[in-house]
Amino acid sequence: MPAVRADKLYKVFGKRADQAVELLSDGRPRDQLRELNVTAAVIDVSFEVDAGEIFVVMGLSGSGKSTLIRMLNGLLEPTAGTVEINGTDITTLPSNELRRLRSRHISMVFQHFALFPHRTVLDNAAYGLEVRGVPRAERREKARYALDLVGLEGWEDHVPEQLSGGMKQRVGLARALTADTEIILMDEAFSALDPLIRRDMQSQLLQLQARLGKTIVFITHDLNEAMRLGDRICMLRDGRVAQIGTAEEILNAPANEYVAQFIEDVDRSRVLRASSVMEPPTAVLGPAHDPRAALRTMRDNQTSSAFVVGSDQTFVGVVRDGAIGEAGRTGATDLTGLVDPGVERVHPDTTVAELFHRSAVTPHPLPVVDDAGHLVGVIPWTALLAALASGDGAGSGISAGSPPARAEAGAGATQRPVESEEGAR
Amino acid sequence: MSAYGSGYAIDIPRLPVGAMFESVINWLRNNLAALFDIIGDVIDSSVAALSGFLTDPSAAQLTLIACLVIAIGLIRRGQLRLVGVLVAAYLALVLLEALTGAVTVVISSLPGALFIWAMNLFGAAYVYPPLVLVLLLLAALLVTSAVRTASRHQWILAAGVTGAWLLLLIGVYIVGVQFELFAVLIFASLAWFIAGWRLAVFTVLGFLLVISMERWAEAMSTLALVLVATGVAVVFAIPIGVIAAYSDRVSMLLKPVLDFMQTMPAFVYLIPAIAFFGVGQVPGVIATVVFAMPPGVRLTELGIRQVDKELVEAGEAFGAPDIQVLRGIQLPLALATIMAGINQVIMLSLSMVVIAGMVGAGGLGNVVYSGIARADIVLGFEGGIAVVIVAIFLDRLTAAVPRFSPAARAKRMALG
Repeated sequence: MPAVRADKLYKVFGKRADQAVELLSDGRPRDQLRELNVTAAVIDVSFEVDAGEIFVVMGLSGSGKSTLIRMLNGLLEPTAGTVEINGTDITTLPSNELRRLRSRHISMVFQHFALFPHRTVLDNAAYGLEVRGVPRAERREKARYALDLVGLEGWEDHVPEQLSGGMKQRVGLARALTADTEIILMDEAFSALDPLIRRDMQSQLLQLQARLGKTIVFITHDLNEAMRLGDRICMLRDGRVAQIGTAEEILNAPANEYVAQFIEDVDRSRVLRASSVMEPPTAVLGPAHDPRAALRTMRDNQTSSAFVVGSDQTFVGVVRDGAIGEAGRTGATDLTGLVDPGVERVHPDTTVAELFHRSAVTPHPLPVVDDAGHLVGVIPWTALLAALASGDGAGSGISAGSPPARAEAGAGATQRPVESEEGAR
Repeated sequence: MSAYGSGYAIDIPRLPVGAMFESVINWLRNNLAALFDIIGDVIDSSVAALSGFLTDPSAAQLTLIACLVIAIGLIRRGQLRLVGVLVAAYLALVLLEALTGAVTVVISSLPGALFIWAMNLFGAAYVYPPLVLVLLLLAALLVTSAVRTASRHQWILAAGVTGAWLLLLIGVYIVGVQFELFAVLIFASLAWFIAGWRLAVFTVLGFLLVISMERWAEAMSTLALVLVATGVAVVFAIPIGVIAAYSDRVSMLLKPVLDFMQTMPAFVYLIPAIAFFGVGQVPGVIATVVFAMPPGVRLTELGIRQVDKELVEAGEAFGAPDIQVLRGIQLPLALATIMAGINQVIMLSLSMVVIAGMVGAGGLGNVVYSGIARADIVLGFEGGIAVVIVAIFLDRLTAAVPRFSPAARAKRMALG
């Protein structure tokens, strides 16, 4: 059961909204609804957010993303379609149960922080529990804990006006964390912060997420932020979904011209990972291979080295033609003694930016080895360059290359190590 | 018809607007007389009680005020429950006494020496049960302050209030100083506490001037009238303003009504008010309420609409019900604007005082009105000066109240 499920959601403002929904569901573009005098903010949006996932809704202003997020917690009622939270359809809930659901299951972080200026930082953070009727001492203790988590210990008795922008949004985050809901909606939460603070907050969010495993729906207009934070990204355009997928899927296979234009400026090296630029390994040999046959294989593949894997696909090392030439003179009959086991190897989740660095000091293609120790692919220089060049070139290479590795990267994405994220910076 | 041309003037029918209004008034008076009588009695007795208290308070009333100040201090230090219990017990005893006289019986059965010395202190010739009860309440609150709070401020507050209370009683009932002088001191300390020393100085000088012009009683009567009228106006204005802030339709409907109330010459209200309530303070208060209420409504609505939409949304997003959003977010943040509205209500009420004097509302209005009627410059000017002094006092005092709102306190913290 997904934590959040939106099914054919529509939000149309205006008196003749229902009529507009009918036209829109027949595929009429929203700028051709002038005669109805309505504004269609969200059109036929469906998605599922799994528990523990960061789901980013990305779109420019006017794309309907703020309207969309407000329908997820029932602040706005959809014109058509349903929203399910943990399997409960909230569009039919009476208002008191909707409030109860909000206070227990969904909290929210706002673009302009929305801190209560007349309350202290501590009382701001404790607000969600106060609404729920938790006794003062208990809610203050929990708020203190959340403030510690976001690094604001010692600021409890200050008022929001005394805080900088980044600190204010940490209070906003602490308020959502104190409410102890499994779902957090973040509406352009970092957009009002200056770039350095924003990057800081993104890192902090990822660190917290690694620890707390919340379900987060994050709204942004910044594609780099979306790519950095999102396990999956939903691109909105004019109220409709343009594409839903992981950052790499969107980069490598943009669904349409709009998405393709959008991703032109993305720093691909920080988004793409080894798993999506690697190629299927060629020149793979077993340890029992005959050295002369190995040389032949290398010549056929026009390389000067080959990868050696064990019987269960476990990566053993690299063997180079020089080493075999030497072995020919000593009369070795297999590759066991000739393999160099200490070569550089990379994880499928390593970003391309880091691969450049590693690749520069390695004379042969980089072997990509997964957690189980299997060789899942290799990365020659040319693949790295192609990955940066454009979506089309790299995309075709990959989709042929490694569907299993892709699936694995997707599944492991929620537990993606934060260090590698940091290391990429 | 027309004096011009060849007489083709268009015939405009005479609409009986005034007569229709009159018949509405008559219908109301004939059918709802009982209701108006109750309203009239409540207003009349509250103005009388308040002005009586302001000119010549009883020892029990003064003691009750001392209790109130100490109780507020206790509540602010988290003793709400205990104070509630004490006050409830006090009210229960008062009720019991009023209904059965049980307290009198108990007191009479005790040896008189227990009380009689205290009664002498307050100028009472015999043991007066309400005074005994309120003294018990005071004692209970003092004990609570001493035992249940570790706050030095509360101790100072309790000791200070009790000391001032004793001094006042001794001064008035034993030494025999006029109460007016103490009243000036009380007003001045209120001014000092809320608005600062400048207003305190003004209050002392201004009110002494009123005393020396021998207009103290009238000034207090006017003050009472204004306070009651403001109280009634605010009780209606704030809820109406809140509803108008929530509903655009109500707001739209309300606007012309408020414009009407404010621009209709205030004298006009006196005519139906007299029809309903006869001459005296009540029609004065009613006319004042109608005339003075609109800014209270408007500024309440404005204040609540001005609260950042995102803050209200934040309250809703965390599941707060509307009433909690209103109480915890909108009202505290709108308080400064609402207080500006109340300030305007008070000022408009004062401007109605003279008009109300025409229908026998008493107070400074009467003084000024007789000044006009007799072309007596001395009388008119002195009455006018007294009105100005009361007006400035009330204006500065209410303008300073928002300093105590949570929002203002937070702002001060941010600066300091």
